[in-house]
Amino acid sequence: MDSNKKYWKGLEELNKTPEFVEKNKHEFAEPIPIEDVLTGGGLAGSTPRRDFLKALGFGVGAVTLAACQKVPVHKSIPYLIKPEDVTPGVANYYTSTYEGHAILVKTREGRPIKIEGNPKDLLAKGGVSAQAQSSVLDLYDVNRLKNPKKDGGDLGWGQTDEFIKSELAAIKAGGKKIRIVSSTITSPSTLAVIADFITQFPNTKHINYDAVSYTGIIQANQNSFGKAVLPHYNFDKADVIVSFGADFLGTWISPAEFTRQYVQNRNNKSLQSKKMSRHIQFETGMSLTGSNADVRIPVKPSEEGLALVNLYNAVSGKTLPGSKALKNNSTADKAIAIVAKELLAAKGKALVVAGSNDVATQVLVNAINSLLGSYGTTIDLDNPSRQYAGNDAGFVEIVNETNRGEVDAVFFLNSNPVYDYYSSKDIVAGLKKVRLRVSFADHNDETAALCNVVAPNHYYLESWGDDNAIEGYYTILQPAINPVYDTRQAEQSLLIWSDNAVKDYYTYVRNNWDKNLLSKGGLSGQSGWETLLQTGFVKAAANVSGSYTFSRDLNAVAQTILDHSNLLAGDGSKFELQLYQTVAIRDGKKANNPWLQELPDPVSKVTWDNFAALSPADMKNKGYQEGDVVTIDANGYSVTLPVLSQPGQKQGTVSVAVGYGRTNAGPVGDNVGKNAFPFFSLRNGTFQTSATAVLTATGDNSPLSQTQTHHSIEGRNSIIKEATFTEYLKNPSVETGKGKDHKDYSKNNLFWQDYDHPQYNWVMAIDLNACTGCGACVVACSAENNIPVVGKAEVGRRREMHWIRIDRYYSFNDNGKGGVTKETEIAKLEDLDHVKVVYQPMLCQHCGHAPCETVCPVLATVHSSEGLNQMAYNRCVGTRYCANNCPYKVRRFNWFNYWNDSRFENYLQNDHTLLVLNPDVVTRSRGVMEKCSMCVQRIQAGKLKAKIEKRSVKDGDIKVACQQTCPANAIVFGNANDPDSEVSKALSSERTYYVLEELGVQPGVGYQVKIRNISESEA
Amino acid sequence: MASHSESIIREPLITGKDITYAQITNDVLRPVENMPGRAWWIGFTVASLGACLWVFSVSWTFWYGIGEWGLNKTVGWAWDITGFVWWVGIGHAGTLISAILLLFRQNWRNSINRSAEAMTIFAVICAATYVVSHMGRPWLAYWPLPLPNQFGSIWVNFNSPLVWDVFAISTYFSVSLVFWYTGLLPDLATIRDRATGIRRKIYSVCSFGWTGSVKTWQRFETVCLILAGISTPLVLSVHTIVSMDFATSLIPGWHTTIFPPYFVAGAIFSGFAMVQTLLLVTRKVLGLENYITMFHIEAMNKIILLTGSIVGVAYLTEFFIAYYSGGEYEQYTFLNRFIGPYWWAGCMMYGCNVLMTQLMWFKKIRTNIPISWVLSIVVNIGMWFERFVIIVTSLHRDFVPSSWVMFYPTWVDVSIFVGSIGLFFTMFLLFIRVLPSIAMAEVKLILKSSSEQAKRKILEHGGHDKEQVEFYKESLTTFDSVEIADYEKI
Repeated sequence: MDSNKKYWKGLEELNKTPEFVEKNKHEFAEPIPIEDVLTGGGLAGSTPRRDFLKALGFGVGAVTLAACQKVPVHKSIPYLIKPEDVTPGVANYYTSTYEGHAILVKTREGRPIKIEGNPKDLLAKGGVSAQAQSSVLDLYDVNRLKNPKKDGGDLGWGQTDEFIKSELAAIKAGGKKIRIVSSTITSPSTLAVIADFITQFPNTKHINYDAVSYTGIIQANQNSFGKAVLPHYNFDKADVIVSFGADFLGTWISPAEFTRQYVQNRNNKSLQSKKMSRHIQFETGMSLTGSNADVRIPVKPSEEGLALVNLYNAVSGKTLPGSKALKNNSTADKAIAIVAKELLAAKGKALVVAGSNDVATQVLVNAINSLLGSYGTTIDLDNPSRQYAGNDAGFVEIVNETNRGEVDAVFFLNSNPVYDYYSSKDIVAGLKKVRLRVSFADHNDETAALCNVVAPNHYYLESWGDDNAIEGYYTILQPAINPVYDTRQAEQSLLIWSDNAVKDYYTYVRNNWDKNLLSKGGLSGQSGWETLLQTGFVKAAANVSGSYTFSRDLNAVAQTILDHSNLLAGDGSKFELQLYQTVAIRDGKKANNPWLQELPDPVSKVTWDNFAALSPADMKNKGYQEGDVVTIDANGYSVTLPVLSQPGQKQGTVSVAVGYGRTNAGPVGDNVGKNAFPFFSLRNGTFQTSATAVLTATGDNSPLSQTQTHHSIEGRNSIIKEATFTEYLKNPSVETGKGKDHKDYSKNNLFWQDYDHPQYNWVMAIDLNACTGCGACVVACSAENNIPVVGKAEVGRRREMHWIRIDRYYSFNDNGKGGVTKETEIAKLEDLDHVKVVYQPMLCQHCGHAPCETVCPVLATVHSSEGLNQMAYNRCVGTRYCANNCPYKVRRFNWFNYWNDSRFENYLQNDHTLLVLNPDVVTRSRGVMEKCSMCVQRIQAGKLKAKIEKRSVKDGDIKVACQQTCPANAIVFGNANDPDSEVSKALSSERTYYVLEELGVQPGVGYQVKIRNISESEA
Repeated sequence: MASHSESIIREPLITGKDITYAQITNDVLRPVENMPGRAWWIGFTVASLGACLWVFSVSWTFWYGIGEWGLNKTVGWAWDITGFVWWVGIGHAGTLISAILLLFRQNWRNSINRSAEAMTIFAVICAATYVVSHMGRPWLAYWPLPLPNQFGSIWVNFNSPLVWDVFAISTYFSVSLVFWYTGLLPDLATIRDRATGIRRKIYSVCSFGWTGSVKTWQRFETVCLILAGISTPLVLSVHTIVSMDFATSLIPGWHTTIFPPYFVAGAIFSGFAMVQTLLLVTRKVLGLENYITMFHIEAMNKIILLTGSIVGVAYLTEFFIAYYSGGEYEQYTFLNRFIGPYWWAGCMMYGCNVLMTQLMWFKKIRTNIPISWVLSIVVNIGMWFERFVIIVTSLHRDFVPSSWVMFYPTWVDVSIFVGSIGLFFTMFLLFIRVLPSIAMAEVKLILKSSSEQAKRKILEHGGHDKEQVEFYKESLTTFDSVEIADYEKI
């Protein structure tokens, strides 16, 4: 129904007065006084209430609108012209070589971000050491030299070349000597370049100088068999290994390779075939190798020679003149007799090695090995190692030549004698008399600082080249990135300075391979070269490994050894100083690498420092507390270092690591620890690593930053399980009790629902008998997962960020009864020398019923359908309850913003170093919890690849970073839902147990019981 | 309430001669209506300096991160949660006094409930600041609340005791605040009626238009009873839930079923100690000896003795269960409290809380004001150490020995804790200046029945059992606010 009603608001509207009509033309009946307000008195006048509300409304609205502006967008620009082989988001791998190992360099968008082992590498079969893992970081070191320098000033390459060429011409004309000093060069092409240089400048001599040298072994082989080589050792062929101070798992010659060999006779496969090698170690300080030995006998450096003489006597049945019983070390004395018997019983499968650099000692070792039939089996002299060819006397002679003013030019290639030569002042004095001093160092290191020209070398990831670690094994070095700075490869510099016909080193390498090396692997031409770049190496047919018999007279040798022993022993009032390399820092060349500095020493767990290791008994006698700073005086040199109580350290000895105390390494490595190289001495033409020392307390205390400060397992055998080999043979499930009375805690589900893992259930198996504790996995994990470096102070506050750590526990003997592991009982023990060590890699156990998951208030850590315990960093508010509730204590909290806090900027933070980050893993901000993700990014990548190929993930497709780098293959990762996977098989072994499984958390990482090859009386 | 005559053998709740309703108002409002004295100014200066320290150190933490504290990879909570539980525990006395004692018609509570409730509120504020500041990312402190959000379908984890804790503390704070404020209404109206100018306006707004009619009083009492009913379960539930932060975890030393009753008893224990600490000083400084009498002091000491003994039994039970369970890690944890590196903290805990409070069995000690005050401080120290021992000593050596560590506090840890005490006292000192520290209306209720003068009148009237009279006179001798000489003639 229509309504005709009209409503009106006022008489004006009803009457439609002209004023009303006029006003209603506009939107607002009354004009808005904007103009009045903005001009005139509007702004100046007092604000009426309404205007105030308007202004308020406008203000709030405007601010709100302004706040709605989008967060600044950082645009990433795609390739305009995409390089053929670079797809953003997809990694490329290039074969290359690191210290003779064939490796793969993982690059993302043109940046090398990770070193991975080449699975076909003959030495370590895909295993990679901590050094190699960390080497990728040095590429981005902002402290590398960025261009050539002359007398401290910058110079172009052209002028540098001009200067050096004119100098060399003058020197050639003058007829004085030219010397090239390098650490051992294993590259055939580099050696060829140097040979060509020598042809051009005939008064040149090249000397290999290694800071830690193996001249003693090389000379001993020359004396014994007429072959001046470093033999290739086969620990895998040895059933009985006796080592006198050789840390072959940690630092000696080729540790990654030896680890692989050594573990082959001790891992699960070997145990299942009822076989396990036996390893006896005589040594002074507790080394990584000693800590893995079945039996470890502490001896003083002065007793080592005598012990070897006695061993020779026992093996040969003869008596060398001057030999006597080890009167102060009855344990060692008794052990020698037993060891000799065992060695003889394993004839042909025995190996004796010694870490000494003394020629006489090594000659005696050769004699013993010859009697044991080791040559041709466990020792190969015909396919020798080229890894160390240092010539101690040769280098000393160069120092003398410079001091005599006979040398006009000296070149230092990868060599830093001003830091690591024992008598640095001689070389400093000598260098002053040399006209042309050239260093190829990529840092302004201690030696480069004294050179007039520094011609910075490429980093190895920017270089062409090759390597030859063992006779017949040639690996290719190819660049993975364009040179970052204006550097030039040292070889190329030498080619240019010697006016070589080939001035381009790549061409030179190609020519060398075409002519000499490709054919060794049955390759040739362009296709051969391309195959080489894909495989990474060629292997020539091995020489027949001959057996050698030692036939020289040993009387004089024994006399030399015993003289030296007596000299060291003195009247017994002084300490005997042993110098060694740590597994992380080695000879100190990589001291500026924060990953290595923060990698805890496997035994002492100390980071960012060297220290004086004393036996607990000596600590007590001297009244030292841990961290007390002492002055160590030896060989006319002294340093002050904090002391560390090291169980297993021979009483009356002190061990100090070399490689620390750099002054020109860079901001990370400078003044970390003290330099111990000056304690070296020269004796019979080789550098010696022991001395007598006097210790005096300074009264200071400088706490060491250790990642572990409680060292015993407190009898908690659900964390660590170990058994003897005899027990294992009787009952393979001796400690785990699998089968009959083993309680299955996984069924203990009163409260919790079981999660479904329909397709994959990612789990891990770790063999405690294979793990040597070297720590390569720790660095690999840091590189893969962008784990921040926190520095000495923060580690000291127990805040290291490593997602995987290696727990190390000591246990002691009490009058023949083994296994004293409780703090209170250890305190009462007299004898802390005979210590057993067990290593346990510890990482997030990815529990089926994870205690961390239930307590998180915001669901930042949750269980995945594939058995992973996942962290959603963005959801984390940082209550830290999860870390408190983790029985394994594997969660790590970002106490600070490590990526944007000036206190940590030396490590990884600068724009340049950030390029090493793995783009598949986010960095974590302050206040966020993090932990092992089982390399979930690798799992995702593997699944994606499988999906693209329309298949499910195959066993072995996905390797997590720690597993991949482990030279011992101690870590196996895979899918538990696949009964045929390697990990399922490993976990079904009788030795498998789960740490703290009685808590019912259902850990996803199984450990395999540690087995020691000792008779029960020794246990 | 009660206008009947009370038995002569009960001790008086209000002492003093010639106490009138007006006298009560005058006495209680003296600090509110006059400029503060020198003692107040000294106290306020010290306390506010402490509060400034708190602001500085909390800001420092927010700026640089939790790393400025001494925490590490193994000990993820230390002084922060120790402080949190300590403050929440202290708050419990106020609720117990205002709610449970009201329901049980304990008239003596009328003199102390106001200050105790104020203390509750300030203590919970101090505790709440720890909840936020201990977070790694405090700017996301609202995430543990189940708020509808745009982060996808992200919800909170209702399994987590920390979420329960959020509910518990926020409920506790809001109910306590409402209860306290409701009780304040008639007193605010009294101030309003006596005030002039701007103060009158403010108090008039604050008193919500209280008229004092019978109907208003009736509703007031009903609301108070209802709120007491609501608060009563909170006395038990809040600290039960706080204890579940520990009890539901699996860390030895935390994973303990006795924790809820043990924590509640401990909370009341520490709360009464704090009330004692505050009121013994307040009654002297503000001249309120007639209203907070020896009877109150002794009554509170008896509660401290009772709850302290309950806590002692809980300690013994823990040790027994650790032994009896055969649990390897549990046994070590409890042994570690005595023989581990934090043995001294364990000694402080057991010594202060159990041994020292047993002294309260002696009436001489219960009624000695200086000793009571010292003991109340001792209890507060002991209860702080109890939480420190439970949190740090349990965490620092848990399952895997490789991760065993020591915890060392930094200056920031210490400053935040000391500063929170400053904050607490700043708020308390402001409170006694602007609000009546004794519930005047409620005290007036018992003036006619339970005061000394009322009882004296009865005595003077005569006709009582001599034995009872002697008993009453005897009990008065302990009072510091009664002149015994007056009773000689009776």
